[in-house]
Amino acid sequence: MRFAVFRPPSTAGAPVAQIFSPRFGTVVKLTLVVGVGLTTGIVLAWRAFTWNPHSIGEPVEQPVPFSHKHHVGDVGLDCRYCHASVESDAVAGIPPVSTCMTCHSQLFTDQSVLAPILKSWRTGRALHWQRVYALPDFVYFNHSIHIAKGIGCVSCHGRVDHMPLTARQAALSMRWCLDCHRHPERFVRPQSEVFSMDWRPADQRTLGPLLIKSYHIDKRRLTDCSVCHR
Amino acid sequence: MEFLRAKLAGKQGTQFWRALEELLEQPQALQCLREAVPQAARLDPVLDRRSFLGLLGASLAFGGLAACSGPPPEQIVPWIRRPEGLSPSQPRFYATTLRVGDDVIGVLAATHEGRPTKLDGNPAHPASLGSTDAMTQAAILELWDPDRSQAPLRHDAIASWDEFLGQAAATARQFAQDGRGLRVLSGRIDSPTLAAQRQEFLQRYPGARWHQYEPVDDDAAQQGTAFVFGKPLCTRHRFDQAQVIVSLEADFLATMPGHVRAARDFAVKRSPTGVPPTMNRLYVMEQTLSLTGANADHRWPMRAAQIAAFVEALAAQIGVPSTRPPAADIAGGLDSAQLRRLKALAQDLQDHRGTSLVLAGAAQPPTVHALAILMNEALTNVGRTVEYFESPEPRESSTDSLRTLAESMGSGMVDTLWILDANPVYTAPVDLLFEERLAKVRNTVHVGLFRDETAARCTWHLPRAHSLESWSDLRTYDGSVSLVQPVIAPLYDVRSLHEIVAFLLGSSRADGREIVRSTWRGQGGLDEEAAWQGALREGVIRNSAPAAFEIHTEPRALPTEQRPGAQGSLDLLFQPDPTVWDGRYANNGWLQELPKPVTQLTWTNAAWVGPALAARFQLHDGDIITVRSQGRSLEAPIWIVPGQAADTLVLPLGYGRRAAGHVGERLGFDAYGLRTSASPWQAVCSIAATGRHVELATTQAHHVIQTGEPLRAGTLLQFRQNPAFMQAAEGAPASLYPERAGGEYRWGMSIDLNSCIGCSACTLACQAENNIPVVGAREVQRGRELHWIRVDRYFRGSPEMPTVHHQPVPCMHCGHAPCELVCPVGATVHDSEGLNVQVYNRCIGTRFCSNNCPYKVRRFNFLQYADTSSPTAKAQRNPDVSVRSRGVMEKCTYCIQRIEEAHIVADRQMRRIADGEVVTACQAVCPAKAITFGDTADPATAVSRQKASPRNYRMLEELNTRPQTSYLGSLRNPHPALQDET
Repeated sequence: MRFAVFRPPSTAGAPVAQIFSPRFGTVVKLTLVVGVGLTTGIVLAWRAFTWNPHSIGEPVEQPVPFSHKHHVGDVGLDCRYCHASVESDAVAGIPPVSTCMTCHSQLFTDQSVLAPILKSWRTGRALHWQRVYALPDFVYFNHSIHIAKGIGCVSCHGRVDHMPLTARQAALSMRWCLDCHRHPERFVRPQSEVFSMDWRPADQRTLGPLLIKSYHIDKRRLTDCSVCHR
Repeated sequence: MEFLRAKLAGKQGTQFWRALEELLEQPQALQCLREAVPQAARLDPVLDRRSFLGLLGASLAFGGLAACSGPPPEQIVPWIRRPEGLSPSQPRFYATTLRVGDDVIGVLAATHEGRPTKLDGNPAHPASLGSTDAMTQAAILELWDPDRSQAPLRHDAIASWDEFLGQAAATARQFAQDGRGLRVLSGRIDSPTLAAQRQEFLQRYPGARWHQYEPVDDDAAQQGTAFVFGKPLCTRHRFDQAQVIVSLEADFLATMPGHVRAARDFAVKRSPTGVPPTMNRLYVMEQTLSLTGANADHRWPMRAAQIAAFVEALAAQIGVPSTRPPAADIAGGLDSAQLRRLKALAQDLQDHRGTSLVLAGAAQPPTVHALAILMNEALTNVGRTVEYFESPEPRESSTDSLRTLAESMGSGMVDTLWILDANPVYTAPVDLLFEERLAKVRNTVHVGLFRDETAARCTWHLPRAHSLESWSDLRTYDGSVSLVQPVIAPLYDVRSLHEIVAFLLGSSRADGREIVRSTWRGQGGLDEEAAWQGALREGVIRNSAPAAFEIHTEPRALPTEQRPGAQGSLDLLFQPDPTVWDGRYANNGWLQELPKPVTQLTWTNAAWVGPALAARFQLHDGDIITVRSQGRSLEAPIWIVPGQAADTLVLPLGYGRRAAGHVGERLGFDAYGLRTSASPWQAVCSIAATGRHVELATTQAHHVIQTGEPLRAGTLLQFRQNPAFMQAAEGAPASLYPERAGGEYRWGMSIDLNSCIGCSACTLACQAENNIPVVGAREVQRGRELHWIRVDRYFRGSPEMPTVHHQPVPCMHCGHAPCELVCPVGATVHDSEGLNVQVYNRCIGTRFCSNNCPYKVRRFNFLQYADTSSPTAKAQRNPDVSVRSRGVMEKCTYCIQRIEEAHIVADRQMRRIADGEVVTACQAVCPAKAITFGDTADPATAVSRQKASPRNYRMLEELNTRPQTSYLGSLRNPHPALQDET
């Protein structure tokens, strides 16, 4: 392909001198290609740096700077004290304000960070927490079955006892889910250690398959689409 | 017609047809049927190549732009104090009661986080036994309808309840003297609380009157009992005790009160059990095809006058003491074929004394009802298959009551009229001039769910709370009472009917619960709080049905009746519409789009004509005719209904609404325009073709299965001779595909075509459960309806007197599924438990799968049908099912959400899922319990036992698709002497 070289309309019929040399076409083409490539590259790089659907480890701003580190790590509350429906329901449950008030009607009542809680309790207006672990609407995750089959809280939520502010610890991509659904024996724990923050298996290679058996986990269907999507 | 008869004469064996066009083999119709995808033939080429490419480019660009944003941040809003035992994701069920059409059905309302999302039948309720009908399923959509009235209106301007209270107090003061000039109009009173309020009203205002008008009434039945017993009585039938049933146009399987229970009892007697196998036998005499007629062993289309003559002859044959002045020969008017039927039927009834049942329909005259009662008595059926009881609530003749009111209004005797939950401007007989006379009433108050035709012509319109938002009580067909409790706080600023009546009685702050509670103080044993709570939890008040009436018949001469049907004119029969009833459900999209059982029409009504009449006037489906009756006329498109009597025209009520809401207006024609108070059901008419034509939205020719024999049917006699006569001689053909390794369960379904009555409740239950949107009439015409389970209808025999069969068709979940092989992106795959699953997020919309599906069960979202913007539409949805977007294929999932829920509960407890733990939505709703679902890998489950029946067959098994849904063939039980008729 050659670029058409611009010529003024020949009115007099006299030959007109060539304005651009034939090589100039190549230069134009190269410039265009580099320009397009550069723009695409910049856009892609910008996207790669700024847009991350799975932003991990970044604390989310909440109406109350709730610290799992304090409540779990220091005070030693059990997960189920607040997330009461985790063993029986699809969702673990964000505690009602009344749960906070079991202690905070007495403790730290004058702290300014607790003011929203007290106000909510006084006025009857609910708190609006920001969701940290959001799954798409076409994924039907159920907490209770994961707890019943020995998947520890830590496996997905990380060491919340070390988190002053809660941040997401896992990608929540389908590949991440399937890593475990394909090889549950690498992650299952004894029932007694599900809520434990610091349990480490002595020998997961032997323990895992034994637990899979005792939990009656049907590995054939764990990767069926219908298990999570409806 | 001659051509048709000749065609049929040449055919042998089981020949099924679905539409008359199939028989006629019109080239254009046949081509349409041959289209594998009917919608392709109907697509108007509105886009040229350039604009198509332009739109394609734009959608790509905008699609790319839309994909740039991440998911929106979500918030979690916890409780302040969590109610005890409230689960965040599990549904809660409340027992309550709904009045649907003419019926009262007990339901369990499922609520998700306080939002009612689905209604199931209440197993403890006598009219439900756990099932419901299609209209009950759609009641949930009515609750969330954005067109519901939301505030009181005065002269169409928004007013407040306080203003209205002032008005009500003024009314109370004005009529404090004696109440003359004050009138109330309500529908039929079937609530003891409303009856008590009526009593209080009449005591307080002795000169006032309370009228009752129900467009679909049972006046004739009441008059029939009044004739025999001296006072009007209600009737309860026991179909589970009846071996021989004679229905005189009584549509007890679809429209009569108690039809859900009747279908269950009928199906129980229908299953061929025992040695030798026995079944009940149903004879139906009717003018047009009804669902009951479609399920009959003998169905004889007759004109109105013929039915009356036949019944009289039958009564004489079985020894009913003559109630007429002795005529020369009652059977004289019958021809030889009818005499033969008469003889066989009379003999059959005589052979089943005490186990037979004769019943008459609402459109039949009181004499026929009286004769049915006398026949039941002569056959010693009373107390066995039929009982009578006195209604504790006051009953009035509907048309008489409204006529009295209209005449008083016309003569200026009515000063104030309160219309409680009725729409007489639309539904009143045309000769009463209700709308005109309403203008003469000084002060009018309308109470209703919608701002309808009547509301627009009243001074005040008050929004009523929906039944799912209010307290009440309702008496069902057998006399049992159940409580109505709110399952959600009112969505808008509305009051319940009882609270509004309390305003009229002078109370300014009424509490619905307290009003209902006070009705039951001192009766029903509900005084104790525990008993009250128990009745609420159970959903029915125990022993509340009145005792059967001790029977005393006094033979009197039957009045002679003016029978319509003179030579040369046509009989005109009015019918409630099977889905929108008398018009009250016109704004319900689910009901509008549900193919009507007999006609398969959607979104409209049509004048039904028989094939012979259509041939005489050279009419085709959709041709517009003028119907003239008693000096009035209307124009209506026709629909040819096989099996309709030759000289009968049927007009379904409920369409032509002028003020119904965004969905229900300007659809069909208003048949009330020809209905008179003198003969509300039956009249005479003449018709004339106009030469114009309109295309109606029907699903009749959609999803036709072209190959093989999808439906198998036979007779009880054949079944006795060889139980496996419907099964293919050879077993499953060999397959080149390897057998799949199964999982722990293998889900499967069995549908008993012998039980299925074709009511389409399954289609609507599925729609409610699985968030299936409606698509509208235009899209239905293109074959794009989205119902996951459809009910196919097959005819056999001549168009004048066909046998009818129904076949529900969900996804077959084939073991060797043709759809899976052709999907280029693996969006439809098999799971380890035998389900053929559709992965919406993988689907790119090639539609190869639906083209390759021999059962035509896959549905495609051609447009964005699901409403994702209206808040009330979102609130109704089942949170356990994805809402599909444009461009995605969808189909029956065997209610995968219910399977997974059962899986999680069982797996948590380390046990197997028990048989019956997974109940699909279609299975739960089925009144006849025709659908069984469960694990087919375990031979002990109910579904495995069903599949082991000799009647079991797989649809199109010659294609070797190995479907997991199978059918039990349909049987009919004709009278041995009339075998040749079917």
